[in-house]
Amino acid sequence: MAIRLSSCSSSSATFFAHSSFCHETETILKRKNFGIWVCQNNSNFHENKRFELKASNVQPLKAVSLQAGAPANSLATERVVNPVQEDYIPFLQTVKEESTLSIVVVGASGDLARRKIFPALFALFNEDRLPENFTIFGYARSIMTDEELRNMISKTLTCRVDKRENCNEKMDAFLKRCFYQSGQYSSEEHFLELDNKLKGKEAGRLSNRLFYLAIPPNMFVDVARCAKHRASSENGWTRVIVEKPFGRDTESSRELTRGLKQYLNEDQIFRIDHHLGEELVENLLVLRFSNLVFQPLWSRNYIRNVQLIFSEDFGTEGRGRYFDNYGIIRDIMQNHLLQILALFAMDTPVSLDAEDIRNEKVKVLRSVKPVQLEDVVIGQYKGDCDGNTSYPSYTDDMTVSNNSLTPTFAAATLFINNAQWDGVPFLMIAGKALHSKRTEIRVQFRHVPGNLYNHKSGTDLDNATNELVIRIQPDEAIYLKINNKVPGLGMRLDRSELNLLYKARYPREISDAYERLLIDAIEGERRLFIRSDELDAAWQVLAPLLKELEEKKVAPELYTYGSGGPVGVHYLAAQHNIRWGDFGYDD
Amino acid sequence: MATLYSTHCRSYSPLTPSPSSSSYSSYCSSSSSSSKLGHVAVSSSAPKRFLAAKLSVLSQNQNVARMQDGAVATAVTPIENDFPFKKLKGGLLSEPSTDECKDAVRFDINENESTVSITVVGASGDLAKKKIFPALFALYYEGCLPKHFTVYGYARSKMTDAELRTMVSKTLTCRIDKRENCGEKMEQFLERCFYHSGQYDSQENFAELDKKLKEHEGGKVSNRLFYLSIPPNVFIDAVRCASLSASAGNGWTRVIVEKPFGRDSESSAALTKGLKQYLDEDQIFRIDHYLGKELVENLSVLRFSNLIFEPLWSRQYIRNVQFIFSEDFGTEGRGGYFDNYGIIRDIMQNHLLQILALFAMETPVSLAAEDIRNEKVKVLRSMRPLEIENMVIGQYKSHTKGGVTYPAYTDDKTVPKGSLTPTFAAAALFIDNARWDGVPFLMKAGKALHNKKAEIRVQFRHVPGNLYNRNIGTDLDLATNELVIRVQPDEAIYLKINNKVPGLGMRLDRSNLNLHYAARYSKEIPDAYERLLLDAIEGERRLFIRSDELDAAWSLFTPVLKELEEKRIIPEYYPYGSRGPVGAHYLAARYKVRWGDVSVEQ
Repeated sequence: MAIRLSSCSSSSATFFAHSSFCHETETILKRKNFGIWVCQNNSNFHENKRFELKASNVQPLKAVSLQAGAPANSLATERVVNPVQEDYIPFLQTVKEESTLSIVVVGASGDLARRKIFPALFALFNEDRLPENFTIFGYARSIMTDEELRNMISKTLTCRVDKRENCNEKMDAFLKRCFYQSGQYSSEEHFLELDNKLKGKEAGRLSNRLFYLAIPPNMFVDVARCAKHRASSENGWTRVIVEKPFGRDTESSRELTRGLKQYLNEDQIFRIDHHLGEELVENLLVLRFSNLVFQPLWSRNYIRNVQLIFSEDFGTEGRGRYFDNYGIIRDIMQNHLLQILALFAMDTPVSLDAEDIRNEKVKVLRSVKPVQLEDVVIGQYKGDCDGNTSYPSYTDDMTVSNNSLTPTFAAATLFINNAQWDGVPFLMIAGKALHSKRTEIRVQFRHVPGNLYNHKSGTDLDNATNELVIRIQPDEAIYLKINNKVPGLGMRLDRSELNLLYKARYPREISDAYERLLIDAIEGERRLFIRSDELDAAWQVLAPLLKELEEKKVAPELYTYGSGGPVGVHYLAAQHNIRWGDFGYDD
Repeated sequence: MATLYSTHCRSYSPLTPSPSSSSYSSYCSSSSSSSKLGHVAVSSSAPKRFLAAKLSVLSQNQNVARMQDGAVATAVTPIENDFPFKKLKGGLLSEPSTDECKDAVRFDINENESTVSITVVGASGDLAKKKIFPALFALYYEGCLPKHFTVYGYARSKMTDAELRTMVSKTLTCRIDKRENCGEKMEQFLERCFYHSGQYDSQENFAELDKKLKEHEGGKVSNRLFYLSIPPNVFIDAVRCASLSASAGNGWTRVIVEKPFGRDSESSAALTKGLKQYLDEDQIFRIDHYLGKELVENLSVLRFSNLIFEPLWSRQYIRNVQFIFSEDFGTEGRGGYFDNYGIIRDIMQNHLLQILALFAMETPVSLAAEDIRNEKVKVLRSMRPLEIENMVIGQYKSHTKGGVTYPAYTDDKTVPKGSLTPTFAAAALFIDNARWDGVPFLMKAGKALHNKKAEIRVQFRHVPGNLYNRNIGTDLDLATNELVIRVQPDEAIYLKINNKVPGLGMRLDRSNLNLHYAARYSKEIPDAYERLLLDAIEGERRLFIRSDELDAAWSLFTPVLKELEEKRIIPEYYPYGSRGPVGAHYLAARYKVRWGDVSVEQ
């Protein structure tokens, strides 16, 4: 799977000035009515070359061997000829038979669709990532013409900073491919109408259909049913993307899964966790498994604790209705943070195939000890006056009930009871209306045993330990805190950073998580989507806790809007000898 | 003990939130007050600082050797605790340290009655002018020299004090970050400089010097440091005279000597024997100025205070280590000395081998000089003597580029026409111990190459069963992690890691996790000589080479040097300004190593 991913989507030919080779190939191939996919496979050779030339650490010998062509070509060929995944074959066929792709955004008038899905689709189109024949259909209950839909969409489309030229042209071309069908989410009849329209666009060619359910979860099953019965592709694939919430607890999640599976197979369901599409989450596996230097360190022998932090600097701001029903634990922890934890802690998978990776993730999740009430601190923000600005409290939100106990902040320590991680606390923190907006992973290493320089680092040895920080947003960066001598006469130690700031090293804008996830769904790459058993395992970690919190009506600790969160976190951290002070205070 | 307060005077000061804190200054004063506190200060916990300081003054005559006491380090702890670690945070660190050094000096006016006299023997020479006097001035400027100090130039040429001062003043520079008062400071410094002319082998002349020194010392405790910046053939004479006629009466006498320490095992042993006739081991300070470089100093810190490097530092994870030294100029009319020694003796046998020893040594018992030097000797003694087939030598030849013609080595007037002296050498060395068995340590040193650089490169093994092998290409070793410690220019540490290129798809790239000193530390990095001189004054021997170390180092290189000279092996010629002879690549290839510096670094 990964093979295909790397060969197809890595090659955006137009990014690089010297990509004339691919352009040529592309035009030739297009003339012969081949899809763009073939070109991209071939252009992989070219791509490698670029890697050699542009990457700083060019080793001439390798460059030579690649320019000679043999290894790269054989690699590329292999990728085309030996598609491992079953759904790759239809692709190859479609390449020959003119396949079409129809993307149906169910809930097209909603916020998610407008803000994320259509812009992501346009970005993919703009970068030539979408197949030659594609159609986008908006589906929703409101009555709208195609034209109105296009108007609505065009407002949110933006052109990438680095690709301004022809953007308007491209935008028009894109909008021409967008259509609208109005209908009820539970009406098979309406879906049949959609099917007819789709068939019209497909014009008898092989059809692949992707449904993006940007609708409330209570309608997921209905839509799945209608789509399955009335609007499935007859000769290609049909896939359905769903987004959280996937239930409120183990039971409701299972219920939902069962509902979906009535109509869909496991490999047709693409559960999105958009945080898994973030650049540095993707990079986590690369970091872990392609760098020897991290390999011996990645266990309880060297790692003292791991902190997974998600903070937002704003509250619900009038959109609390959905949130109030779910709370921060369901909204962030149970999915985003737990998924990152699984990627961080999992064993080396057999391969980079989606199933192999997801198998390992499930193993980790199943080894996580269900979180106990005493391992958790919950909080809710209260109003604050700062100069002339006053910030509302959570319950000031009109859409939130006045005596809501829903946590807007939660911190929890998790433990993975396996050989690799036994006893290492994984501290998760998620909160709204905090003083900064960031998502990061912090790995604190143990102190140096018998450190010769102990007398330089004060009483608390743990203050001077190494730390690896992977900042997912904002300002993507990886840095490793090391102890270093301050230059000058004498011997004074200091923690400096070995760092890699993405902005500085990779000037290109980093693509949005939705783009990656959409292209993966189109290509059938399931690595970043959540499998049913994963979801189930994830719920089992937090569901008992959620139940207890709600049954006991545990009152959240109030914290000030824009602060560092409730003080209770420090005490929770202290229980496990973690120091939490670093949060938000460095760099 | 020297360790204790040297670190205080120099390094801990910035930790204080406010430099004027009185308890702190009193402490600092104690440290800089005299260069030896004796073991008294071992008991100095924070509340007793002041007391300890006084005691130290009383106990000035303690034997210097005892001060290496390992307990020193522990004694520091309580003091250090006064300052919260948080203070270290922040982006650029600019340091108030120097001001505090000055505070310290001011404070000990009434307390300290010891003097230090620094005699630069060979004062009119190049090294003295270019390095020693400027380093002494920099130390003075930063307030790191003791209150009562005198600098004496000693050489054969007739000169007055004023003439010496004029000569010295030409080469003194003020630190870029500290220009204020510089002129004033310079004058004050020059007032402390004197000159005495005399023969290097005349006890009589040294006795005259002694008399002058005594005048300046004015009956106070006298400590004397002789810096022999003279040709090695007069070392022993000068040492004899200094020792017999100009030793300190009641303080310490130390002698700094600089390379070359002989040409081979025998001559080095002879020199050591000669020196030891007149000096004890702990009076001899053999300088290897590379050991005073910031990043060489930092090497031990990196290794021993970062857990993340600990599991990696062995044959299990390290594929090879490279020590690279290059200069972008030739001998340029000063080949007389060099031709007699060659690049192997000039750079490899000392600088690079010392760095190797620091890199590869086991964890010492403590940071005390003797403990560190013990570990270094162990490494050197575990090494296989170099064999001629593990060595490539080269000599630069003339080269014309863009209308400019660069001379060949033998075009140098001071070099004999048929000279076979290598100006380039590459060697593969092996340490036959449990930690490093089978790991090639490659060294490369050369003149007249395409750049000027000194660096350590650590190449790690490839990831076993790498999931991303497909993204890497045929040679897995090209995508391994690499740690680079660049000693000069532009001090930096960076770790090459494999990374995903941002964007859709999965393309790997080697990026650097890096620490660029210029970006992180605003302060100018002191010259190696400053550090070493201060260490010698303070009796800190960590960075100086002990006799047995020197002996072990020579025994590695002597056989191959002999063979090269006996067989009159012709060096491989390489054009001036090139990357050196290609033979170096074949040598590396034999051990499946690829020189890390040939790729283009950003």
